[in-house]
Amino acid sequence: MNATMSDTKTTRTICGYCGVGCSLDLMTRDNRIIAVHPAFDGPANQGALCVKGQFAYDYVHHPDRLTHPLVRDGEGRLQKASWDEALQRAAQGFMDVEQRHGRHAVYGVASGRTPSEANYMMQKFIRVGFGTNYIDNCSRA
Amino acid sequence: MSNPLADMEKPDVIFCIGTNMTEAHPVAATRLKKALARGAKMIVADPRRIRLAEMADLYLPIRVGSDTALLLGMAHVIVRERLADREFVATRTEGYDELVDHLQEKTPEWAESITGVPAAMIEEAAILYGSSDKAAIYYTLGITEHICGVENVQSLCNLALLTGNFGREGTGVNPMRGQNNIQGAGDSGALPNNYAGFQPVDDAANQAKFEKAYGRKVDLEKGITKVTALEQCGDGIFGMLIDGENTVVSDPDQEHCIHALKSLEHLVVIDIFLTETAELADVVLPAASWAETDGNFVNTERRIQRVRKAVEPAGEARPDWWIIGQIAQRMGMRGFDYDSAVPIFNELCELSPIYAGIDWDLAESGQYQWPIPYRGHPGTPRLHEDEFINGRGKFSFTDYRDPAETIDEDYPLWLTTGRRLESYHTRTQTGRSEGINDLLPEETLEVHPSDAARYGLHDGGWARMRSRRGAVDVRVQTTRRSPQGTVFASFSFADVPINVLTGSGYDPITHTAELKVCPVHVESIAEGGAVGAGASKVLVQNPPGDLVGEPR
Repeated sequence: MNATMSDTKTTRTICGYCGVGCSLDLMTRDNRIIAVHPAFDGPANQGALCVKGQFAYDYVHHPDRLTHPLVRDGEGRLQKASWDEALQRAAQGFMDVEQRHGRHAVYGVASGRTPSEANYMMQKFIRVGFGTNYIDNCSRA
Repeated sequence: MSNPLADMEKPDVIFCIGTNMTEAHPVAATRLKKALARGAKMIVADPRRIRLAEMADLYLPIRVGSDTALLLGMAHVIVRERLADREFVATRTEGYDELVDHLQEKTPEWAESITGVPAAMIEEAAILYGSSDKAAIYYTLGITEHICGVENVQSLCNLALLTGNFGREGTGVNPMRGQNNIQGAGDSGALPNNYAGFQPVDDAANQAKFEKAYGRKVDLEKGITKVTALEQCGDGIFGMLIDGENTVVSDPDQEHCIHALKSLEHLVVIDIFLTETAELADVVLPAASWAETDGNFVNTERRIQRVRKAVEPAGEARPDWWIIGQIAQRMGMRGFDYDSAVPIFNELCELSPIYAGIDWDLAESGQYQWPIPYRGHPGTPRLHEDEFINGRGKFSFTDYRDPAETIDEDYPLWLTTGRRLESYHTRTQTGRSEGINDLLPEETLEVHPSDAARYGLHDGGWARMRSRRGAVDVRVQTTRRSPQGTVFASFSFADVPINVLTGSGYDPITHTAELKVCPVHVESIAEGGAVGAGASKVLVQNPPGDLVGEPR
């Protein structure tokens, strides 16, 4: 990271949209993205970006972002919860399903949008947790 | 892709089929434009007269779902005109004589009767592709999202094998991957048939290898695909963990999909927004977004590249890997107490022969394209240079099959679905970007003017479109981009949920849904906007478009 202006930070990363994998520099200030600059030394894009890669980043700071876990209450409504409560509920639910229906009753769907580390964790979760290959990603639809 | 993106500037002849590259992979298309500026010729086969078709030297307007017939007809001509690369066929392939027998009846006239493309144009395309020194094929979901997706890909491979267009600069068979890390998802082992690095689960040696690494013996049997899992929800599958997928809007047959997810006893969704899918969950866990997390993406040319955290996560959001690790640890699993993405990626590399030559630090440079089989190996920009993975390239004896559903009196028009430049998938992200919404405020149904006249539709008016599964209301746009008899819409807008209609079938091998073909009926209506009208259950309470500003 190089400081281009005293309060602006530059972070080299890869576009999060399609599979071309364009390199870009995220310009940030006060923990917000203020601009995207295409990377001329990006091997996939050589300085080019499309309208999505160049401009469609403001969703990161959108007020609709999920900022805390949600857990469904007794009346069927999603309610704000602590991480501890939500993770416990998530874990207990999978253990209950396995106990009632067996280890082939739990399925994992990994994302084509997340980093590989998330995908690796998803498949490891299913394989170590249940001893099955009941894992897929979203590439079939 | 068999070849690197840089090779897109190198072919003498480019054959694009089932790819709307200028909209779905715009930056890759700029590299094709460089080849065209240099004098390369381009053949485009697509049911719609897309921008790429306008740029082509030869445009083949095929009927949706008829790709295999076109490709068999082209292979027939290549053999008949003696354009096959005899040395390549002799030294690198097997099954040529059987293929020649198989192609006897697959004349261009036969192909014309199925595709609607004149035989003379099929001949011209085959001769152009077959007589060039360097010819490259590019395709996207227009090839794979069919009940015959595998046959389509095999038929493309036949053309490249026949003409020796593998393993050299500016050649190859090149699928353009649609999502930033859909390649990495497969690489990482998030597949029912493969461990990380595409190591088959039904191989006992692999089972033993991962038992040692993971401390648990995993089934030798393949798992089921997501398509099958959704069919079994409430009847075999009772718990599901979904990370970053808006299944309800992206998958075919929305009513079936919602019913499936509601049949679960326990659904946990990890995402950055409360998507239509997350709304059905028992537990929703907030993930750090793209700009808020460290890791690696693998692009369409198999290049491993670092994504870097630039801002802190929104609120209490956490990286996906952390969330999954926390659930695992609370279930008593061992081997999940990672303190960053670094040791996770290094574990993936250690267990995957295709990543064996790198680790987190080496991946920093972004220079590696897998396979990287050992430390010091430079990576593999171009596959199949000296030999194919299984030795010789096998010809496939494919045949044409009708789509799962074909048009009839009740559903007389073909609907094909796809992407638009300004929106991405189900718009959970681009739908929350103000400028992008100005560019593409709503979905429209693209209808040829003569079809519009025939069905009483008018430009800017509303249509109700029905399939065998449901109905949606959509604004009409008359355009000659759609051929007569075929209409087009994207599936991106939750308030025009096109996937209420789709879901007629899927490829029996890959389980990829036939999202590109769906017979429909259209009629004019006075005023639209009834979400999923005619479909019994479409639960879209918060379409993203309503959340980003005033109505347009």
